[in-house]
Amino acid sequence: MTQFALAAVLGLLFALGTFLVLRRDIVRVVWGVTIISQSANVYLVTMGGLSGSVPILSHGAHGDVGAVTDPLVQALVLTAIVIGFGTTAFALVLTYRVHQEHGTIDLFELERGGDT
Amino acid sequence: MEPAHLVVAPLLTALVTAILTLATRSYLNVQRTLSALGGIGYLVGVSVLYQAIQADADGVIVYQLSDWAAPFGITLVADALAVFMLALAGLVSLAALAYSVRFISDYGQRVSYHPLYHLMMVGVTGSFLTGDIFNLFVWFEVMLMSSYVLVAFYSGKEHTRAALTYVVLNLLGSAVMLLAIGGLYATTGTLNMADMARRLADPTAFGIDPAPVLGLSALLFTVFALKAGIAPFQFWVPPAYRAAPAPVAAMLAGVVKKVGVYAIIRLYFTIFAAATLPAGLSLPGLSGTSFLDFFGPVFFIMAAASILLGGFGAVGRKTLDGMLAYSSIGQVGFILLPLAVAATVPEVRVLGIAAALIYSLNHGFAKALLFLASGIVERMTGTLEFANLGGLTERAPVLSGGFFLGALALIGIPPLSGFFGKLLVFDTAARAGADAALAVALVGAILTIAYFSRAWNRGFWGEPVEILDRPSTALTVAVVALALGVVVLGIGFDPVMDAANAAANAALDRTGYVEAVAPEVVA
Repeated sequence: MTQFALAAVLGLLFALGTFLVLRRDIVRVVWGVTIISQSANVYLVTMGGLSGSVPILSHGAHGDVGAVTDPLVQALVLTAIVIGFGTTAFALVLTYRVHQEHGTIDLFELERGGDT
Repeated sequence: MEPAHLVVAPLLTALVTAILTLATRSYLNVQRTLSALGGIGYLVGVSVLYQAIQADADGVIVYQLSDWAAPFGITLVADALAVFMLALAGLVSLAALAYSVRFISDYGQRVSYHPLYHLMMVGVTGSFLTGDIFNLFVWFEVMLMSSYVLVAFYSGKEHTRAALTYVVLNLLGSAVMLLAIGGLYATTGTLNMADMARRLADPTAFGIDPAPVLGLSALLFTVFALKAGIAPFQFWVPPAYRAAPAPVAAMLAGVVKKVGVYAIIRLYFTIFAAATLPAGLSLPGLSGTSFLDFFGPVFFIMAAASILLGGFGAVGRKTLDGMLAYSSIGQVGFILLPLAVAATVPEVRVLGIAAALIYSLNHGFAKALLFLASGIVERMTGTLEFANLGGLTERAPVLSGGFFLGALALIGIPPLSGFFGKLLVFDTAARAGADAALAVALVGAILTIAYFSRAWNRGFWGEPVEILDRPSTALTVAVVALALGVVVLGIGFDPVMDAANAAANAALDRTGYVEAVAPEVVA
């Protein structure tokens, strides 16, 4: 049941992230990217196999191996969250800087002003 | 000292230099000196590591972080392939660094140019050395974080806009990479590359279904293709390269792109090639049971698209740096092309990988040279538009000579290093009997001649333009040094070819790689 609920939540999160990335407003694009990377983290947690029990009971005593949730993915997610935090902060600062330089954060207007 | 400790030498040198240059940012001359010394120290570290690998019986040195045995801890692996890429990175980065010392203004230095530069090198070095697939993601992020800031460095109108595209694309790329890595962990049960290769070679013993692994590795490939700027993921390249300061553009094209190339060689030829699909590929137009039988045609289509798109794009550019950016899309196609042939035809696999490595080395030197030269041209004339350029051979003969050598190296004129790169690409395709690859390479080669002749005619010959500023000769020295490098690599080609062959053999020596890392603690 947990698996099904998480799969549905993941689908929704990715859909929401994709929707936001396709907006004209840069701040929403940054939110969209953030939501997508956060859903990647949720996805990572589910990759550890959700058995519903605690990760590790005690040193050397794992009980039934099939019923243990893998703790490694949670360590991975921690790393990914820290990296995501840094990149999101940078993306927001960059958005502010874009606003200062161009006077707009509308991607359509940026496109018209650009000359690549 | 144990040789294993030498593996971290380049990594630590770059990291310590980054910290020292950050600490001395109020003393500009001290910072410059430390930064340059760090660049030299990095190269010394790489050469010591190279000698240690030569002396090692297996040619693979493994460093287990905190002495945690693989596959539990993070493993750093230095073999001939990693060291080849490290040497490329060290040499190009030193030239770009020597250039940066004079090129970057005092204000630029105060806003942390040098620490960022060295942190980018930390990320590059870590990516070449790591033996753990999640750790590869972390090093990618270290490298990208610094490159985001360096692309946005001038933070004018077009710079912020280009940086925004670059950041959003790479953030999406990172999310996709996490998805692929998570999936690979769930299907194979490990993140250690050597352990993964061992498990994929015997999937039934570990309960692995190879089919999802193929899909996930294909998903992972899109990330590397994005980093390397291979079509259809090439669109971020021209604005980002144009926005970045000239030495950073040189590093992005010369070194950072090669990280994507390295990851493709390491993961797809060393690791994923271990797996086979017992039922065969049931996709239209594909046959065979190996993963490489799937990736061969995919590589080929993307390489061909890059060569044509980059070539035709470069011919039509109105600016010198725009042309160089498109040219680098085409040249990465030339690096991927022998890999595509090597994946499809096992007989030429060593030759194909060696060709890709030699081409990467040549492109690293020549493209860095050209970007550095374009930076000087912009300082001198205030523009990079072909319409407003002309007569640079009269105004700056040494610089023009350097540019000319770089262009000839990319075109592939003997005895420059580019000749051997092109020759090996054609040789791989001819020996494999891959007529389509030959045809694409030929068209690409002609396009290269076309766009460089155009750049030369428009920018360097003709009516001389007014010179606004004479930049310091130290900048030209960096260009000349790279030009000499292109000549020396071509004339003294034997040792380079040996190193590339050793690297290609190391990339294909899966047993040696797995045995050196020794991840068999878990049954």
